[in-house]
Amino acid sequence: MEVIKENSKIVLENWVHQFSDELFSWALYKTSSKETAEDLVQETFLAAFHKIDTFQGKSQPKTWLFSILNNKVIDYYRLSAKTTKKTFSISENSGYELSDGLFNETENWKNNDINPIWDQEEELLDNPEFNIIMQDCMDDLPQKWKFAVTSKYLTDKNADEICQELEITVSNYWQIVHRAKLLLKKCLEMKWL
Amino acid sequence: MQKIMNMMVNSCKKTTELIDKQLFTPLTAKEKMQLQVHKSMCKTCTAYEHQSKFIDTAIGKLFTGKLKVNIKMPEKKKNKILEEIKNS
Repeated sequence: MEVIKENSKIVLENWVHQFSDELFSWALYKTSSKETAEDLVQETFLAAFHKIDTFQGKSQPKTWLFSILNNKVIDYYRLSAKTTKKTFSISENSGYELSDGLFNETENWKNNDINPIWDQEEELLDNPEFNIIMQDCMDDLPQKWKFAVTSKYLTDKNADEICQELEITVSNYWQIVHRAKLLLKKCLEMKWL
Repeated sequence: MQKIMNMMVNSCKKTTELIDKQLFTPLTAKEKMQLQVHKSMCKTCTAYEHQSKFIDTAIGKLFTGKLKVNIKMPEKKKNKILEEIKNS
């Protein structure tokens, strides 16, 4: 038994040397936080170590590690969607107020002008600076809303499963996505000049 | 006449809701008509539909865009992980 454990350690050590940078880059990309990314990679390797007997060499080690990491990323978002501590994002109530604020008392646009930023959209998407602002604007969203708009890219889950996770109904789901988009529009128009 | 207009024509707020709703569930015939009528008269909402799709694409890009840079994990953290495994 000890021998197997020692062997696992050697395998794991090799994997850390081989794959940690790639896993880290990916985690960083998904979470935009260096600290979180480091922690998730550590958790990934420790989880891999503890369940290495379930790895039967059917897939590449790298694929296997990435699947563990992706689950960790999802857990991370699930957790941060439910807890509100230590975030700079606004509350859901402020989110509703801010998005309502785009419309006047007759529920029509307060400002009918179409911001010129939307004319250059094709180029915008390839502009790294724009993507940084986009990320900033996403981070400003209430945590739950951010998860609602990003979840379809983070998981293979369908809308029903995502709703279950967020403890909302499907009709609530599209309304949250809708509100989130209004805020993103507002934020982009303010920050991208 | 005003009454009929109000029944037919949604506010901009309601219209933007329909614009985003249709990406999730099919609209009813009435909703579809309301959306068309409103858009035909309102440039700002027509633009919003465009912007909404654009925002979708932009979010997708954040998550599915190719990683251009490979960022190295700090050695210190790497060593800590190796240490943790050793002590497990």
